[in-house]
Amino acid sequence: MKILELKDVHKIYNSSEIKVHAVDGVTLSFNEGEFAAIVGPSGSGKTTLLNLIGGLDMPSSGEIIIDGTNLATLKSSQLIDFRMRNIGFVFQAYNLIPVLTAKENVEFIMTLQKWSREERDKRTFELLKAVGLGDRASSRPSKLSGGQQQRVAVARALASRPKFVLADEPTANLDSRSAATLLEIMEKLNHEEKITFIFSTHDPRVMKMAHRVITLEDGQVVSDDVKEA
Amino acid sequence: MIIKTAWKNVWRNKVRSFVVIASVTVGVFSAVFSVAVMNGMIAQRVNAALDEEISHIQVSAKGFSLNQDPDLVISDAAAVEKVISGIPGIAGHVRRTIVSGMAGTATKSAGVEISGINPEEEKTIFSLDKKIITGTGSFFDGDSRPDLALIGQDLARDLNIIRYSVDSLVLGKLREENVPAPVLEKLNTLSGERFANEKKFTRRVKTLLSARETARYGHIIKEAAWSFREGSRFTLTFLDRNEVQVGARFRITGIYDTKNSMFESTQVFVRAADLRKYTGMSESDCHKIIMRLDDSDMTVQTTESLAKALPGLDVTNWKKLQPDLALMTDYVHQIYGILFAIILAALAFGIVNTMLMVVLERTRELGMLTAIGMNKRKVFSMIMLESVFLSLTGGAAGMLAGWIAILLTARNGINFVKYAEGLEAFGYSAHLYPEISFSFFIMATILIIITGILSSVYPAFKALKLNPVEAIRTE
Ligand SMILES: Nc1ncnc2c1ncn2[C@@H]1O[C@H](COP(=O)(O)OP(=O)(O)OP(=O)(O)O)[C@@H](O)[C@H]1O
Ligand SMILES: [Mg+2]
Repeated sequence: MKILELKDVHKIYNSSEIKVHAVDGVTLSFNEGEFAAIVGPSGSGKTTLLNLIGGLDMPSSGEIIIDGTNLATLKSSQLIDFRMRNIGFVFQAYNLIPVLTAKENVEFIMTLQKWSREERDKRTFELLKAVGLGDRASSRPSKLSGGQQQRVAVARALASRPKFVLADEPTANLDSRSAATLLEIMEKLNHEEKITFIFSTHDPRVMKMAHRVITLEDGQVVSDDVKEA
Repeated sequence: MIIKTAWKNVWRNKVRSFVVIASVTVGVFSAVFSVAVMNGMIAQRVNAALDEEISHIQVSAKGFSLNQDPDLVISDAAAVEKVISGIPGIAGHVRRTIVSGMAGTATKSAGVEISGINPEEEKTIFSLDKKIITGTGSFFDGDSRPDLALIGQDLARDLNIIRYSVDSLVLGKLREENVPAPVLEKLNTLSGERFANEKKFTRRVKTLLSARETARYGHIIKEAAWSFREGSRFTLTFLDRNEVQVGARFRITGIYDTKNSMFESTQVFVRAADLRKYTGMSESDCHKIIMRLDDSDMTVQTTESLAKALPGLDVTNWKKLQPDLALMTDYVHQIYGILFAIILAALAFGIVNTMLMVVLERTRELGMLTAIGMNKRKVFSMIMLESVFLSLTGGAAGMLAGWIAILLTARNGINFVKYAEGLEAFGYSAHLYPEISFSFFIMATILIIITGILSSVYPAFKALKLNPVEAIRTE
């Protein structure tokens, strides 16, 4: 089932005199349960594309349709709400609120969505266990390693059962062991929870684990390979 | 969750938050405490005026208060009293006969107002009988001889009725007041000498002590060193009903001390019967009927109903007699509010500054929160709550500290003895008992919360302006 569609999306930055065509006519679609990597050299437009998909930025032209909703039709306050309900985010860094524990960070969005305490506790425990941090629920981010923090961020992104999770270079700040663990966890959750992951990366080993690899160059899709399962 | 996060965020930069909280604490503490001192001062002054000087409501013949013509009497006091007893809310009343005159001794004289009273009646609405200085006599108690007079400490001083000397008793008293030994030693050289008046004594003490010692202990020494020969006499001169000057020797039955120099140096009390004897007034007449009310707040209403019931007489009340006090009691809360608001406004700048730093420091985190779906209202309230927590924590600590300080000082009062003469000249006691009403704390809490909210508005708007993409950009 198709959950995300991009139709001829362009993003042009008009900063000062130089015009940067960061995303240049991208047309893509994603189905439920995909595990897709967006790769490409630095400056090729990966971050820009993910920001557009996540509704953090508006395309200069083209359409982005998530589960039947065209993002352009949403007002900015509706968009924030839409993000909260439909999209999970994992950033490269600064994912967590430092004053809250791992458990509270994972719970955060569920609380904003007014989940009941029992539901929240159940889901949080389930996810922290899934990312291998069942015993670190009450640790603050500063007491966790970089890899563990990213795992908490993945758990948080999945907490309210979004349509898909966007991760912009989630492993960029991690050593290769932690990066591999994170990817394994993401893949497992993709499998178990049937949640779509779309992530960007530079790392060839991470790329290898993806089921679909989309390559960008100068804002354009130059290849889109789906691996046979 | 927002509340919890905001609270935890407050403690993120402990030193900085502590500095802000401490400044709010100090500001609120000083506001609370100075308001309590002011409040105590006013309450004391008002109570003194009501309890010792003028009570709540006074009735007199039309025109009497203007020129105190002894002929302007309330000619059937009993009938007036009957009307008064029909008005609700009046706790008690007394008759007074009042003449202006001169008090004099061999060396000095002073203008005074002489009130003819019935001592037993007076005790029902005034408490001057409790202000008699120990050792000087009493409030006309147990002495039925005619021509007794009660005078104030300041008048006694003005008339040179008071003598000054330093003996072992005086030194003992001073030691109790914590006057240091070197000062006592210097004073000891005065033993055996007597001073006829305050001036001579002060001049002598000044030659013995340093300027600082005089400034610090002068007042206490003067208070301790004076003495009074019981039964001293002085002359009162005044006009009788026929405008003929009469004079009579009065024996001092006691000296009162009210903390109000003005009152002390002008108000002389004698028995009404003695005054009638010299002025030739009839027993059914008097000049004033003074009333005390059950509830001071009913003053204006009761004055109105009395004025209606007694159309031929002047009815006035303490608010008209002492408009400065009335003004203070009526507007004092607004003044406290303004004082408090000014202090909070100064503190608000510190909070705004801190909250701007908070927003700047957490640019990425706030961007991340907006990205994952925290809406503007929630971001705004989180910043606002943080600011309110800062101000409220400091405010609560300041109010608590203020309250403790009030409890501690209210028991024994704060001694402003150094400024005693200045304060007492205006009728304020040098011994202040801070007091504050519970409603002040409620008002303070509300103002503190408003301060927190207002000082967060600008920083919170800055936070809303953040673009999540820009904010999260990691380069
Ligand atoms: N806010 C902006 N204003 C102007 N130009 C921008 C802005 N953001 C990105 N760009 C430009 O758009 C192009 C694509 O940038 P983008 O960050 O999407 O690349 P990327 O593939 O994520 O690179 P990297 O691998 O280094 O993260 C770059 O040339 C970049 O300089
Ligand atoms: Mg990038």
